[in-house]
Amino acid sequence: MKRIKIFLVPLLAASIFGCTKLNEKLNDQFVISPGGGNSNASGLLLNAYNDLNTPFTNQDQIFSLEENTSDECLVPTRGGDWDDNGVWRVLHAHAWDATHGQSASVFVNLGTIESDATTVLALNPTAEQAAEATFLRSMAQFYFLDLYGQVPYRTVANYNTVDAAPVMTPEEAIDTMVTNLTGIISTLDPANTPYRAGPDAARFLLMKVLLNKQAFLNRATPGADVSADMQQVISLGQAIINSGKYSLTSNYFDNFSPNNGGFASGYGTGTSKERIFCTSNNGTASNNGLNPAGVDARWMMTLHYNSWDAPGVYGGAGWNGFSTIADFYNAFDANDSRRGNVAYPGVTNVSGLKVGLLEGQQFNEAGNKIQDRKGNPLVFTPEVHLVEANKDSLEGAGIRIIKYAPDYSNYSGGVQRNQLIFFRYADVLLMVAEAQLRNNDAAGALATINILHAARGAAPLTTLTLVNPANLYDNNTLLAERQKEMYWESWRRQDLIRFGVFLKPWALKTADDPKYLLFPIPATQLVANPNLKQNPGY
Amino acid sequence: MRKKLLLFGLFMFCCLMQSIAQQRTVTGKVTAPDGTPLVGASVTVVGQRSGVTTDGSGNFSINVPANAKQLSISYVGSETKRVDITSASNVVVELVNTAANLADVVVTGYGTSRKKDLTGAIAHVTAKDFNKGVIASPDQLLTGKVAGLQVTMNSGQPGAATTVQIRGNNSIRGGTTPLYVVDGVPLDGRSPRPSLGSVSGLGDLPDVNPLIYLNPNDIASIDVLKDASAAAIYGSRGANGVIIITTKKGVAGEMRVDVAASVGISGLMKDADVLSASQYRSALKTYNVASDSGLSLNPFKEITRNAITENYNVSLSGGNDKGSYRSSFLASDQEGIIRKSGLKKYLATFSGQHRFIDNKLTINFNFTASNYTEQIAPISTDAGSTGNLISAAMNWNPTLALVRSDGTFNQTNPSGQINPLALSNYYDDNNNVTTLLGSITGAYQILPNLQYEILYGANYGTGLRKAQMQGLIAATGGNADGKGQATVANAQLFSQTLTHTLTYKGNISQNLNLNLVGGYEYWTTSYRNQSTSVYGFNWNIPGGQKLPFPYYNNMQSGNQANLRSTTNVDPSVELQSYFARGSFNYVDKYFLTATFRADGSSRFGTNNKYAYFPSVGAKWVISQESFLKDNKTLNVLALRLGWGRTGSQDGIPAGASQQIGINNGYNSTPGGSAPFSIVNYASPNLKWETVTSVDGGIDFSFLGNRISGYIDGFSKKTTNVLFLSTLPVPSNGASIWKNLPDGAYITNKGFEVSVSGQIIKNENFSWDLGVNMEYVRNKFIYPALGTSPLYLTGSITGQGVSSAFAEAIANGQPIDVFYLREFQGFDKNGIAITNGQSSYYVGDPNPRVILGISTDLGYKKFNLSINAHGAFGNKIYNNTLTSVTNVGNIANGKNISKTLIGSSESLANPVSASTRFLQSGNYLKLGNATLSYNAGKIGSYIRSLNIFVTGTNLFEITKYTGFDAEVSTDHNNNGVPSLGIDYIGYPTARTITFGINFGL
Repeated sequence: MKRIKIFLVPLLAASIFGCTKLNEKLNDQFVISPGGGNSNASGLLLNAYNDLNTPFTNQDQIFSLEENTSDECLVPTRGGDWDDNGVWRVLHAHAWDATHGQSASVFVNLGTIESDATTVLALNPTAEQAAEATFLRSMAQFYFLDLYGQVPYRTVANYNTVDAAPVMTPEEAIDTMVTNLTGIISTLDPANTPYRAGPDAARFLLMKVLLNKQAFLNRATPGADVSADMQQVISLGQAIINSGKYSLTSNYFDNFSPNNGGFASGYGTGTSKERIFCTSNNGTASNNGLNPAGVDARWMMTLHYNSWDAPGVYGGAGWNGFSTIADFYNAFDANDSRRGNVAYPGVTNVSGLKVGLLEGQQFNEAGNKIQDRKGNPLVFTPEVHLVEANKDSLEGAGIRIIKYAPDYSNYSGGVQRNQLIFFRYADVLLMVAEAQLRNNDAAGALATINILHAARGAAPLTTLTLVNPANLYDNNTLLAERQKEMYWESWRRQDLIRFGVFLKPWALKTADDPKYLLFPIPATQLVANPNLKQNPGY
Repeated sequence: MRKKLLLFGLFMFCCLMQSIAQQRTVTGKVTAPDGTPLVGASVTVVGQRSGVTTDGSGNFSINVPANAKQLSISYVGSETKRVDITSASNVVVELVNTAANLADVVVTGYGTSRKKDLTGAIAHVTAKDFNKGVIASPDQLLTGKVAGLQVTMNSGQPGAATTVQIRGNNSIRGGTTPLYVVDGVPLDGRSPRPSLGSVSGLGDLPDVNPLIYLNPNDIASIDVLKDASAAAIYGSRGANGVIIITTKKGVAGEMRVDVAASVGISGLMKDADVLSASQYRSALKTYNVASDSGLSLNPFKEITRNAITENYNVSLSGGNDKGSYRSSFLASDQEGIIRKSGLKKYLATFSGQHRFIDNKLTINFNFTASNYTEQIAPISTDAGSTGNLISAAMNWNPTLALVRSDGTFNQTNPSGQINPLALSNYYDDNNNVTTLLGSITGAYQILPNLQYEILYGANYGTGLRKAQMQGLIAATGGNADGKGQATVANAQLFSQTLTHTLTYKGNISQNLNLNLVGGYEYWTTSYRNQSTSVYGFNWNIPGGQKLPFPYYNNMQSGNQANLRSTTNVDPSVELQSYFARGSFNYVDKYFLTATFRADGSSRFGTNNKYAYFPSVGAKWVISQESFLKDNKTLNVLALRLGWGRTGSQDGIPAGASQQIGINNGYNSTPGGSAPFSIVNYASPNLKWETVTSVDGGIDFSFLGNRISGYIDGFSKKTTNVLFLSTLPVPSNGASIWKNLPDGAYITNKGFEVSVSGQIIKNENFSWDLGVNMEYVRNKFIYPALGTSPLYLTGSITGQGVSSAFAEAIANGQPIDVFYLREFQGFDKNGIAITNGQSSYYVGDPNPRVILGISTDLGYKKFNLSINAHGAFGNKIYNNTLTSVTNVGNIANGKNISKTLIGSSESLANPVSASTRFLQSGNYLKLGNATLSYNAGKIGSYIRSLNIFVTGTNLFEITKYTGFDAEVSTDHNNNGVPSLGIDYIGYPTARTITFGINFGL
């Protein structure tokens, strides 16, 4: 028996080791209990604001889904460049399928905004923080509804669960957004800088919800507008107009300049007086607690490789991709300053680059002709194809658009100071005019639009209707007016759907299918959340 | 308490077997097989504790009870033998050296078994059958040697990781290599090579093989546990099979010294698929492009070299009747065929065993200390439009100077690409890893049939990696251009094992033999990585000269505003397990083995801390039945059946609890306090992946055992498939480890055949041939997905193919099935036509058949052994051809693939992934061939002498146009692995090695 005791000693040791509870030891992260007191609502709120950067700034996110699917933007395949497995072409041709990566990525990124905003609500925010978080949550929900027609959400109590999220129908989502946005207008601080949501940002988003309501409820054939809704759009718009904080900027392109926000100061500074909600950007890493947005995506994607001959400088060469179509270019009235192709200080004198819609031979700052990489003159031509088959026109095909002027004076490290505008004052006038038209007040609408025309140097309009389905570029329609003012600002697809013409053929898009009124729900999300249903046709 | 009762019962049982009666005397002699008397061999009566030892002539005399039946004779380094003494009073016993008899002893995990007693599918490979030639890690010893085991070199970089799969592909996540166990110590499976991130935007570099710190010369045998009835004893880490490595041990006798030295020279196995200067010139004419710069050179040759490999190994061993020792030393230097790449290793091992307390207590120890240095070439796996060293050399215009007449690098190529020679010269990446692997075992023979053993093992590795890109580089588009960049990183990996086992071996009756093992194991591991990098050095020496010291030795002179530091500490992992195995042998005819393991893991959720893994295996040796017993033709015929469950959990970090992380870079933010966010959501139900497997096999042996082998059929099903899933939106965008729901599973079904035979065997001439093959098909099943893929992987990289994927995980398809648009030729403009914009499931990257052939020809003292291996039925996606050597590049002043000449493709044809780049992956490779001359004993001092010449990767038969069809560049998507994608990887080397082995 003595021997048995000898070996029982190590067995006893084994059973002591056996007491390990196998708890996780995280080492470089920590655990808090849900809703626990160790919260930092202001830090989490900054986090939620920063979530806007990727989906709203990158060229392959919301911008791509709203613009490349429309009649004002396309990304032609240029030999070895920009095919990217057809991901861009299928958007313009309306031929994407359920595996489209950009659509899937935007879905997840919108969810990040919504989730981080809901997290703020769960962790003891102040009333102001809660109102800002509610605004961001509504903004994400608005884009879910716009792009996918289904709005997954989490209740505040369930902010951090990984269970299937409940999903709102369009009706529920509209009611929720109207209630929430109406509720926060009085709480939001009017003194907030334009990169923190103020009451006007909430009003603006509420106007968008109400204007798009009938299209959101029935995209194929939007129902008749409800007069009370249109009336509310008008009164919300007038509240913004009458605040006196905003005015139409005399040089249209000053709205998008490197100094458009006075390097992230408050309202009234900078060259743009039209910023209602935008990114913060002062060109440095310590940027009011916010990450600077990569606003250079707005010009790099369209600039030719040789547009700026500054070897060795980050961003010196563009990516030579995005273009627009000739029909849009030709629709502009010759006096309309918004077409551009004009010199801009700090840009043209540095690289020769102009701003606006760029057509024809490109020149450098010394006035010499720029050549493409093969040594041919760099000429941007209106003629463009989804797949450029002629090896000599690969690089020059397609008119380019420079709305945001490159910030040449602050290129180091790729941090430029232009503030990317989400909500702009001119759109308020356009929305008010649209609501007036939809409410059968054509005279009021005409008056509102001509304020804009006067500021932009375009001839006043004498008649105005909503849309001409036979000619999307009819100058006497609000849809065409919206395009000329708001082009490449990520609204075009939504507008085309609201005006009922998204399925019409246009340049380089022939056939169409009603399924393209909505994007597909990503497969991984369908697996993760049975409450989501794949949109019809995918 | 239950355990105590059980042990007490066993004790009583054994006591009863003893009988106290009249005594008689038995005498005898113990010798080695060659007749040498063994001095100090231990002789005991079976069932009794006391015994005697043999004298100086090997003789013994022992008093035994009159009714004693058997004597047990043991000797260090030899197999213990039992002899019948029921009717004998004088016996002569021959003891066989354990080492010589290794072929018969199979390590089954926490114990051993005779090969003929096995019920599970275990392949046993001993040193004499290992692959020869350039071997950086133990897994390469087995390439083509075991049916059902596929070892694929991922890259030609010396020491690069391999993909090892046993019986197909069980998982849709990374970290699914088999479990390696070295002398009882289960390894972590990761390497302490620090990760650098990306140096100057070139992308990620391929992984290092985590086993290169082991010395292939020290390995005595490797056992591959293929089916679940064998691997279930390793529970939640056994699902991908288990590879058990047993190192060489000393044998009793005088000190032996064995020396092995070899020198080899390597070159490219197959040239790069690009145009020569003259072909390029004529192509320029065909395409009407003016890029002829007048010279004729071979840029790819400029970055390659004839590389020298040297290996020196010395081992010392010896022992006496109480103990033995072995020590070995290795120094090796393997140059890579690409400039500035290679692997240097220094390694020492010391192992020993000693018996105490009347041979009842045995202490065993093993210790390995190693240091290796990798010199890593800038050959990233996921290079974008900038490319890597290989693409830079493939693309370089062969008429354009690499070096100017003044000796500086031509870094102003009109195509804007990197000069490969400049990249090679200005880039340095050296990784130094020191690893210690030690274990100590104490085994105590409590009763003749009952042994207790405790094992403690520790494996510590630390790596220091230094990399720089000198500021003289241009055109990388990264931070280093003109400014320089340096990174220093370190990592630590530490794992520990504590195992207790209790083993009972005995006869319950004359006919029924019983072998029981029970035990407890605790295993823990931790990993950390830290790196510091800086860019912006303002002191390049003008005139293109290199600095006399590397930037990473002077990081303080980089621009301190660009200093970045990153630390990453993985969650510590703890495993705690209880296991048991019972093996029954009834008259060597009927065998039954049952195992059970309970595993708890810190990786899993609070609701699923423990899992249970049972298995059962049975064997019927038909040839022992009376109707076959005396058959002269059929020597062995046995039928095996096994069922079992194993788990898989490696490769996933902790996932069970909610984790809050600090967001990067917020500490410096004025006004904003450090925001944090949820980086991982709680997943309390997370559990291991479970593989349930069934195996049926036949073992056979004919014609006086001259032909033997086995046929196995298997069917495996993986359930609770672990998947890094997107969280249901809205979420913070983080992913979460999840088990796919019921109804989602992976199957691997197939069969294996392994036959070896002595075709000719006579005094002067012998010819052995072994062939093994496996047929396997895997499928991912998840009907709820319909025809849409669950996930895309196999990212296609390079200029023009951003966010393109070639592979998918989809219902009813093999894992990583190719999912591409179908290429239908070119239109009249030379633009590719595809079958619409949609992708289709178009090919399988998993081989259907893997094949291994080994043959040995002996003539007198000459021996020729040849080993070939191959894979068939799979496709390879040639990403290099898609985006590096595509036709459009000739218009950009770059070189293109030879295969494109004569095609109607337009230079404007988009760079786009499609089935056009899917090629057959069938290959048969002559892995190694060795011609040796065995001089044997020379004079009175040289115990043995052997000289040899070995060729490694002599040639490959394949239609694949890349460097090597045995390839898999890592193109995972967010951790979901890819398979069979080839992208500007390190080319395969062909090596001729000359060597000499001698023993003193």
